[in-house]
Amino acid sequence: MRVWSVLEGIGWRPVASYFFMLLVFFTLLKLYAVDKITIGVMVAISLLFSAFLALVLYKRVIVPLNEVIEAARDIARGNLSRRINIISQDEIGDLAKSINDMADRLRHTIGEITAEKDRAQAMLDSMSDVVLALDRKGRIIMVNPAVETTFGIPQVDCVGRSVVEVIRNFDLDMVLQRVQATNSQLIREVAIISPEPRIFILRATPLVGNTKGGMVVLLRDISERKRMEQMRSEFMSNVSHELRTPLTSIQGFVETLQDNGTEDPQMIRHFLGIIAAETARLSNLVDDLLDLSRIEERRVVRRWQREDIGTLVDQVLTVCGSRADDKQIAIKASLQPRLPRLFGDPDLLAQVLINLVDNAIRYTSAGGTITISGLVEGDEIRIDVADNGAGIPAENLPRIFERFYRVEKARTRGMGGTGLGLAIVKHIIKGHGGRVDVKSVVGKGTVFSIFLPLEIPVTLPAAESFYLH
Amino acid sequence: MAPRHNFDKQLKEIQQDILRLGSLVEQALYDSVQALISLDVAAAGQVIMKDELIDQLCLEIEEKCVWVIATQQPMAGDLRMAVAGIKIIISLERMGDHCVDISRATMCLSGGALTAHSVEYIPEMADIVQQMVKDGLDAYVTRNVEKAKAMCAMDDLVDFIYNRIFRELIACVKEHPVHAYQMAYLLYVNRYIERIADHATNIGEAVIYLVTGERRELN
Repeated sequence: MRVWSVLEGIGWRPVASYFFMLLVFFTLLKLYAVDKITIGVMVAISLLFSAFLALVLYKRVIVPLNEVIEAARDIARGNLSRRINIISQDEIGDLAKSINDMADRLRHTIGEITAEKDRAQAMLDSMSDVVLALDRKGRIIMVNPAVETTFGIPQVDCVGRSVVEVIRNFDLDMVLQRVQATNSQLIREVAIISPEPRIFILRATPLVGNTKGGMVVLLRDISERKRMEQMRSEFMSNVSHELRTPLTSIQGFVETLQDNGTEDPQMIRHFLGIIAAETARLSNLVDDLLDLSRIEERRVVRRWQREDIGTLVDQVLTVCGSRADDKQIAIKASLQPRLPRLFGDPDLLAQVLINLVDNAIRYTSAGGTITISGLVEGDEIRIDVADNGAGIPAENLPRIFERFYRVEKARTRGMGGTGLGLAIVKHIIKGHGGRVDVKSVVGKGTVFSIFLPLEIPVTLPAAESFYLH
Repeated sequence: MAPRHNFDKQLKEIQQDILRLGSLVEQALYDSVQALISLDVAAAGQVIMKDELIDQLCLEIEEKCVWVIATQQPMAGDLRMAVAGIKIIISLERMGDHCVDISRATMCLSGGALTAHSVEYIPEMADIVQQMVKDGLDAYVTRNVEKAKAMCAMDDLVDFIYNRIFRELIACVKEHPVHAYQMAYLLYVNRYIERIADHATNIGEAVIYLVTGERRELN
């Protein structure tokens, strides 16, 4: 019985082959050596030779083949680094080598595919825009991590759900439905209020190619851009209003002169005086606006260099000198000796001083004095423009640097100011990493101070638009 | 298995529609409060116009729910889905109407400026209510009972702020009778927002009913 189970274990083919070989040997021996040896010896020799042959076959064929089979199974299971260690020169060796080569190539190809997939995944993961892939029925099949940072919804909660379950917005849903229906791309602005009110630009594109239906949805946050646009249009409307006011005045007086045809020369002179003043106001405003556009342009292409303060002051004196002389106002410069050079854009810095001196001239009566002083204070350079003019009331001081801010409409209208000069000053100095300050006593005078850092700022202040206050 | 598949599809559609309706109501709440704060009559008008869409959607969803109940004779969880759906859209529709009321008040208040400093608290209250509505609808999507219960608890905070604003507005009227007109409308708005919060808790209760089958009063 044990013999039978062993034989069963080996299988009938090897056993049958063994007996076949036995028979062959026996027959050969019987045919060629029947008279030299007995039957018993013949049988014994046959048995021995057959056993020997079987052993050789086993070792040289069966064992390597089994190894090849096992290795192939291992590779198929996914162990792509498994190799067969058979180096014989026969066909089995070739088989082993071929399978090794195949495993090599497989590993290489899968490696390439994985790397490419990882690259694509990394691209999607690092995008700050939210990217969704939807199937034909509008269910999310893929989403990038941005959905978590933008909408606070975990990535895993999104897959399998429809968009409206995840980002609950009616307009968004409508757009996606339209894209599905018309199978064409749509780009829309969408306001989504949760988790915080923002405006997005939505791009929904139907997928082309072998994927049946479906679409890719891209959401980009443009709230900042919209905010800037709004501020810019607010500024524009402010400017238009500021332009309209003197124009209305001028128109009114011109019409009066034309209609009435008054012959009174004094009246005519009076009206013309007003028209001239308002025209000057308009002209100043336009000049300021031109300065502004220059500054905005400069904001992008700024020249940073070292400038001697004395040179700047000379420039200012050249520009403002005649106006000061007209009012018999003296401009004095009192600069500390050996002041370090300023680091910044020379044209813009000159503009700052011109604006400050101009203001001083405007609000100082005849015979007054304007003093420009410069000194080092701590780690800053301080430049003061002081006048002994009308002064600014304390309650107006905090807002004096705001665009279009006037102390008292009545008081400053006659002075010809545009309301932008100080705002421009503040903007430029801030852009240089500095700060502005003002001190004033009504009836005594005003001192405007600008502070600029001695050290070159390590990180230059971000170029901020004038429209963003 | 065509009938079963169709039935599932209908229930799924009802759920999606309810979420769309919910998003419209959330938007209406946000827009109406913003319009009030900035006294933007045009924006208030928009809210009133968009309410038509809300009402229309409510009708459509209600019909779908009734249709499902009538033709499919749903059982257990599916039946609760349809019934809870109807409860939720009723609450949402009422919330939409209150947003219209807020917008109408804005239009009556326009031409002046909001002077009462208690107007500061109204946006705060509105924020909390906005969060409640969001949580309620989120709980509906995820079938999250805990979230629904937590949301209902926020109603206490809303009631507290409501009472506070009420007292302050009355005090303001006593002090500056000239502002009585404005105060009256703000009292209304105060009430409307508080009512929206109540309806939001009804949504929470509907979600709890949907998931567990229990009927709870959590107001």
